[in-house]
Amino acid sequence: MITVKVLGPGCMNCERLEAHAVRAAQQLRAERPDVEVEIQKVSDTAKFLDYGLLTTPGLVINENLVSSGRIPSPEQIADWLREALGAAQAA
Amino acid sequence: MSFSSLLAFLGDLLWPGLTSLLDYLAAHVLLCLVPAFVIAGFMSAMIPKEAITRYLGHKARKWISYPAAAAGGFLLAVCSCTILPLFAGIWKRGAGLGPAITFLFVGPAVNILAIAYTGAAIGMDIALARIVLSILFGLVIGLVMAWLFRAEEEERAAQVVELGAFDGQAKRRPAVWVLFLLLIAVLVVGTLQVGVLTRAWFELRLPLRLPAGLLATLERFQLTLQGALLIGMLPLIALAARLGLEHVLERFNAWTYASIALAALTLLMAAPSMAQGSLVVGVTGRLIAEALLLAGIGAVAARGFTRAEVAEWLWEVWKFVKQIFPLLIVGVFVAGMAKAIIPQAWVQAVAGRNTLWANLIGVLFGVFMYFPTLVEVPIARMFLDLGMHRGPLLAYLLADPELSLQSILVTGRILGRRKTVSYVVLVAVLSTLAGYLFGAFLAGL
Repeated sequence: MITVKVLGPGCMNCERLEAHAVRAAQQLRAERPDVEVEIQKVSDTAKFLDYGLLTTPGLVINENLVSSGRIPSPEQIADWLREALGAAQAA
Repeated sequence: MSFSSLLAFLGDLLWPGLTSLLDYLAAHVLLCLVPAFVIAGFMSAMIPKEAITRYLGHKARKWISYPAAAAGGFLLAVCSCTILPLFAGIWKRGAGLGPAITFLFVGPAVNILAIAYTGAAIGMDIALARIVLSILFGLVIGLVMAWLFRAEEEERAAQVVELGAFDGQAKRRPAVWVLFLLLIAVLVVGTLQVGVLTRAWFELRLPLRLPAGLLATLERFQLTLQGALLIGMLPLIALAARLGLEHVLERFNAWTYASIALAALTLLMAAPSMAQGSLVVGVTGRLIAEALLLAGIGAVAARGFTRAEVAEWLWEVWKFVKQIFPLLIVGVFVAGMAKAIIPQAWVQAVAGRNTLWANLIGVLFGVFMYFPTLVEVPIARMFLDLGMHRGPLLAYLLADPELSLQSILVTGRILGRRKTVSYVVLVAVLSTLAGYLFGAFLAGL
């Protein structure tokens, strides 16, 4: 299972990022129906610092901060999800 | 009151609202607002945040971290979403309370949208005073706060956990800064009132004959043909942007290009000079300069940036327009109506002269009235027209973006009560003094 967290106080960009993450998860599900992707929203500003996030929105995949301060495309997020899957299987 | 007199009363109220709205949308205001929104979006999407945050880490020296915090306030804090996490980060894991406060203060005060709009709608003197004094105050208030709470800060600094959040290196991209300078130049050329730019170098007569009815309507709304055309452009841009920018992160379509072209055309249409009831277009230095700059921006954007980057930029611009513009229109309209109701004598009695008391009232008004970003400007314009002195006006404009009850509550949650109270008192006292000194300075000129 892959855990995705969208970090943001609830502004427009955070909602956009969440929508992109959902689309990326759908892309991955089409390729790998056996993998589950869980998407969580984190809006507690105090928690942002635990990931070293300074500018929102931030995207965390399996507890690693992969992007901050911008909205990556669904395709790029899907690539990160595949990477995370590969890393999890190698371990 | 009979029905017809009620209608007449409503008419008296709505008419000033409508004319002031049209006046705002048609005038030079577009020359500043259109570029300002584009720049705000650019800063949000393209300015590499690491270029600033690496100077705000926990080991940064004071003489670097304070100016970096002020610069960061200007460059990074266009959106209130970015301010709070960065502020908390700088304070808790970065350079400490002082630079964090500087950042918190400078961010909303030196917002590029607010400054540009102040310059166009109220005057360059107030806009410049807003920039210079906000940066100065940001530094002073940061230093004073760090000194006031130095014992606590030392204790906390000993426990700071290194996170690496401030270690990021920005990739060097000259194209980003070239484009940024070109965009700023569009804004400056669009708003600066100097002879080279305002002078009409030659004149063109439009080969048109306007029907008398149209001319009479323009007369009634006190509009030039240029102004009317510009107002007409706005719904077109809004439509194109709605269809072309809402999903620009996923794909470009014909509407995307249409909205860029329409925005550029609006700037070019707003730049020449034209008198009311006339068909003669004065080709000003402003028009020529804007045309050259727009061509430059097009070339740099096309060669130096990928399509995905431009899409992010356009999305940020559209986001700001969606967030701010509707509120601004309502604000201008309401301020226009209020101007017709509020008796001039009141405003003049309370803030017509530059006294400490009048400046303090300007500050308190800013605290208790909450206006969304940019709306403080038409409100200030209204008070100016009603006879407020420029000193108290500046005091109000300095305090308003910093101290609303809402922002005080939010900072209170992060900083705790004691620090927040000190911060608020410092801002209020310094804003009052600044307005007073600025007013006295103007009187001495």
